[in-house]
Amino acid sequence: MSLRVAQAIVVKDLRTEARSRSAVSTVLPFAATMLLAFGFALGPDRLLLARTAPALLWLAALFASVELCHRSYQHEAANDALEGLLLSPADKGAVYLGKAAAAFVQLIVLLVVTTGIVIVLFGLPVGPAPALLLLTAVLGIAGLSTLGSLLGLLAVRSRTRQAALPVLILPLVSPVIIAATKATTGLTHGSTAGIGGWLSLLVAFDAAYLAAGYIVFGHLLED
Amino acid sequence: MTAAERAAVRLSRVTRLFDGLAAVSQVSLEIAPGEVVWLRGWNGSGKTTLLRLIATAISPTFGGGSVLGFDLRAERSAIRARTDLLSHETRLYADLTAVENLRFACSLYDIDPRRAEPALGRVGLEELAAVRVGRFSQGMRQRLALARCIMRTPALILLDEPYAALDVDARVVVDELLITARARGQTVVVASHEAPPAHLIDRELTMDGGRVLAPAGVTS
Repeated sequence: MSLRVAQAIVVKDLRTEARSRSAVSTVLPFAATMLLAFGFALGPDRLLLARTAPALLWLAALFASVELCHRSYQHEAANDALEGLLLSPADKGAVYLGKAAAAFVQLIVLLVVTTGIVIVLFGLPVGPAPALLLLTAVLGIAGLSTLGSLLGLLAVRSRTRQAALPVLILPLVSPVIIAATKATTGLTHGSTAGIGGWLSLLVAFDAAYLAAGYIVFGHLLED
Repeated sequence: MTAAERAAVRLSRVTRLFDGLAAVSQVSLEIAPGEVVWLRGWNGSGKTTLLRLIATAISPTFGGGSVLGFDLRAERSAIRARTDLLSHETRLYADLTAVENLRFACSLYDIDPRRAEPALGRVGLEELAAVRVGRFSQGMRQRLALARCIMRTPALILLDEPYAALDVDARVVVDELLITARARGQTVVVASHEAPPAHLIDRELTMDGGRVLAPAGVTS
């Protein structure tokens, strides 16, 4: 039953996004505008732009994940659908896994588009190990989606609402952003030294956030 | 079998505070299995909070009790699997169609998704199955929420102002739900500010200021 519940949540969230286009109409322009603003702020120095591009890419992904997870729970809060999830006998851990998986798919799509922008605008090279770069992207986005899907719920239930989410997520997600940025910087500049350590760190944090989310989500959903 | 196990709902001195104010105060209540109870009171009398307490949407600040033989605090999952609360908020997704909303509920409740279409037919929404709920009026949304309840056949049905926003045809659907539930032995608690349809209920209770007052009459 748990797998069926998680699958139903994924299908429902992706279907809602496909129809409401909230990520396409708000989150993507937000991330693109942010990258453009950074580009203007840093100036025309191509070397500086290429050097800072991995950090800017992951910052854009971070802010996009905050916005996306907030919107995902706004859909749940409308008409009190969140209470519908609470009052169902469904495994709340499975609900969390579904929410995180749906956020993961949407963030991967967003990252692909923003990476394209960064390659064109900042001259970021793909590097000699695209498979490892892809693995970094998957692990980094997994960290953002697992944590965002947990804290998004907390934010929508708190009185401070949207303001609470960045305050909660930024300190906790720092290891993921640092590891993903370091790995991306190394890989795009042709160096694989130390990549294993950064990727291991990403795996460890992804696993920790996923486990914490699975266990805690049901408690956060309660009154 | 103990008294708690015999009663569908048994509350003992239940109080719920919001920011220090009691929405429900010292309520003790016993509802027998299969009973249809009408909980009448003005806005702010505590009806909705009481239904939400029974449904385990919120926890009591003080007091306790059991629902369908399960402890109100410790066995919430078991209560939720057997209870349906229909409230002002329909808990539907505006970007999903009517039938998609029901099939999603089927996944959550682990029931056969083929029950969705017949349930839509019962509430007169079969022709709007493929229409997104965002285009529905409040009355149509309430019908769809009723279809979700019909599809599940829970042991305890909690209806909060079920006639609000409904036209005459849809009010008949609620009446039919009460008749069917009674025939099947399902327990129903209806919270409303309206006078009850006496032929459809077993007992009327009055709420005021967060308290359940003395029974206003027995009609069964």
